Amino acid sequence: MALISLLAVSAIIFWCVELLPGDAAERILGRNATPESLALLRETLNLHLSAPERYLTWLSNLLSGDFGTSLVADRPVLDYIASRIANTALLSGFALILYIPISIALGVITAINRGRMADHAISVVVLIFMCLPEFVIGILLISIFAIKLAWLPPLALIGQANGFGDLLRLIALPTITIVAAMSAYAVRMMRESLIEVLDSSYVLMARLKGLPTWRVLLFHALPNALGPAINITALNVAWMIGGVVVVEAVFEFPGIGRLMVDSISHKDVPVILAISMVMTGAYIATNLIADVLVILLNPKLR
Amino acid sequence: MTASQQFVAQVKNLSVDYHGDRGWSRAVDGVSFEIANGEALGLAGESGSGKTTVAYSLMGERRGASSVGGGQVLFRGRDIFAMPERELTTIRGRSIGFVPQNPMASLTPSMKVGHQIGEMLTFHSVPVPQGTQARVAELLDSVGIPQPAKAARRYPHELSGGQQQRVAIAMALACRPDLVVLDEPTTGLDVTTQKRILQLLAELKRETGVSMLYVSHDLASLAQLCERVAVMQKGRLVEAADTASLFERPQHDYTRKLIAAIPRIDRPPAGHPGATPAGEDEAPNLLEIENLRVSYARRGLLGFGKLPAGADTVKGVSFSVQRGQTFALIGESGSGKSSIARAVAGLARPRLGTIRFAGTPLAALARQRPLHLRQKIQIIFQNPDSSLNPRKTVRSILSRPLGMFGRLDAAGREARVAELLQAVRLDPAYADRRPHQLSGGERQRVAIARALAADPELIICDEILSALDVSVQASILQLLETLQRERGLTYLFISHDLAVVRWFAQQIGVLSRGAFCEIGDTETTLSAPSSPYTMQLLDAVPRIGASPAAAASEPERRP
Repeated sequence: MALISLLAVSAIIFWCVELLPGDAAERILGRNATPESLALLRETLNLHLSAPERYLTWLSNLLSGDFGTSLVADRPVLDYIASRIANTALLSGFALILYIPISIALGVITAINRGRMADHAISVVVLIFMCLPEFVIGILLISIFAIKLAWLPPLALIGQANGFGDLLRLIALPTITIVAAMSAYAVRMMRESLIEVLDSSYVLMARLKGLPTWRVLLFHALPNALGPAINITALNVAWMIGGVVVVEAVFEFPGIGRLMVDSISHKDVPVILAISMVMTGAYIATNLIADVLVILLNPKLR
Repeated sequence: MTASQQFVAQVKNLSVDYHGDRGWSRAVDGVSFEIANGEALGLAGESGSGKTTVAYSLMGERRGASSVGGGQVLFRGRDIFAMPERELTTIRGRSIGFVPQNPMASLTPSMKVGHQIGEMLTFHSVPVPQGTQARVAELLDSVGIPQPAKAARRYPHELSGGQQQRVAIAMALACRPDLVVLDEPTTGLDVTTQKRILQLLAELKRETGVSMLYVSHDLASLAQLCERVAVMQKGRLVEAADTASLFERPQHDYTRKLIAAIPRIDRPPAGHPGATPAGEDEAPNLLEIENLRVSYARRGLLGFGKLPAGADTVKGVSFSVQRGQTFALIGESGSGKSSIARAVAGLARPRLGTIRFAGTPLAALARQRPLHLRQKIQIIFQNPDSSLNPRKTVRSILSRPLGMFGRLDAAGREARVAELLQAVRLDPAYADRRPHQLSGGERQRVAIARALAADPELIICDEILSALDVSVQASILQLLETLQRERGLTYLFISHDLAVVRWFAQQIGVLSRGAFCEIGDTETTLSAPSSPYTMQLLDAVPRIGASPAAAASEPERRP
């Protein structure tokens, strides 16, 4: 299944890029191109071959583990994108580490205080974040924390980081942006499913057994309420893979999202394909992990 | 001895109010009673009588948006609603055990059952010299669960309904409480399982001397366990007496009505005309079933390979139903009775066998049958909550079959809806209501009206009484009999309750594991049963007047 998806995605992306006007040779040589130099460059880049031929070549190379060479940077694609992947993974990792406890905690707080002030206050904030696109959240955060208060740098140029503390300061704003946009859905989902579980007979039973509140909440209610939130998280991570492109653009963050945008404008097909393969792979992997987690949490499905 | 020593719990003039759509309403109104040490008190009443609210208040629990309007609940002399939360937590579970109505929904699905029992010992700091695990196994053993150590490592869904209830009972008794509150503990169970659970409770009561508050709508099962019974109606306690005198000399009209509603295997219900004896007038067969086999087992990959031997849920069943009569299919859950119903209704494809209706062989699935045949066979399901679309009005629920099978204009349809509602003894004004605005019994009447809307000849009733109170059951049965007389209907009536069908069905087939172990006319079959299984089922029917001691002294049979 996963392999078929990957193959289909690669073919669709390839075809889409083909539809765009121009090719990499034109982009590299720019306005000074002569027909001769263009033809020569096309020959070296293998662009004189037909589209299906190039796709099949790329595919057969891929099967032997070769992602090809960047048309623009003239470096092996894998080398070229590896550091960018690491950067994005760092950003996403930080975001996830914050996202999980924040979503669970806010979901629990709203659910157990349902209808009271704490619930209303948190729900309003969450709804606002749900409605705002992530680049608006990003710009909002920049104008408050970087420009008005000048606590944090506006751009996340992590190549210039001096040690771990500095790194944290640099990626704080993009991380918060991603977490804010992602948690909004998870908090609501967590709240709904926990409210349902708190109304269940087994939670009543646990209370009538004379167990302390924390025990009822953590051992009887929460494990049975996490399922829907985990599924939402899988969708969130999928969003994050795409949304990271926008957030990286806002904060000038050197991740694969920005590289993707640049490569598309250069029609650097091997890089575009490689990045989409990585993104699709990550998407499939998260869904798989979510499914496994849901099954592990629910003994009926085990 | 002071009063607080003599009684485990005292309820003094308790009133509870609920906040609903129309402001506050009184659900419990000035109820007083007490439970003596070692006594089992039964609390009877229909749903909505406030009996469950009273039971929960004994544990200091206010259900939903409710508040105590007045009075006190004293546990060992201490006011439970005036207690600080901490103290209440130490009494719950430790001194007052609780057995819920629906064990499947009341056991935490993500936690092993042994763990759920063990945590009570841990959190109530009960000394267990032998170790928690060993104590849990002991408890499970004491409630009759085989291989207790292994069962402790199971999740709730891996146990049968009866075993789940046993686990809940073990849990309630884990800390050796003074009082156990039981909220309809046998309602969702088979008759035979019901009987075993009642026997278990009687045994445990004798061994441990624990006091009980037993809440049920089923007077017959209360009678087997309780020394005293209190009857509630519309929030008030109308009568309380020791069990024997309550049944012999009921003082209140409502109590008399409740007692009369209990299905009796030994005598027909009041006002019953007596079932017409079967077979004498030789009515033609309306439904004939030959060698019916239903299987849910899947073949191997892609449908190849052999079915595993003995995988059929229904194993070659043949019977016939005469026009205008009632055939009862009796059996425990899993006996295949619902599978037969679904096959006749065309909802499931049988693996083998023929079903003939008025002499015509029927296609396997309803959608392959011609419209006029589909119209003549209707089915009513067990749970009207889920078989009626909650978003539709009663009018549109009833209009759908009318539009499908009849050619009526709007005015004619409206008249027919009113007529159908009257036929099931409901006010025609109910047409504008939605299912949630009706009581359980009223909903089942709407479901019957929907079946009647098609103008059927055969109605399949699949456990249609089991979600209803005993007194409501009696009125629905009466309605079905009236409709049968008026319209010459034929019923295929599926039930697990012998006492219910005893006076209602002319023919009976007792199913066990997918095959008939007995079939014949009801009178002869039940007066002289030949199969041990039928005898066991008959034995499980609660007898009124049997003393609690009699129920307890009988050794428990375990399969």
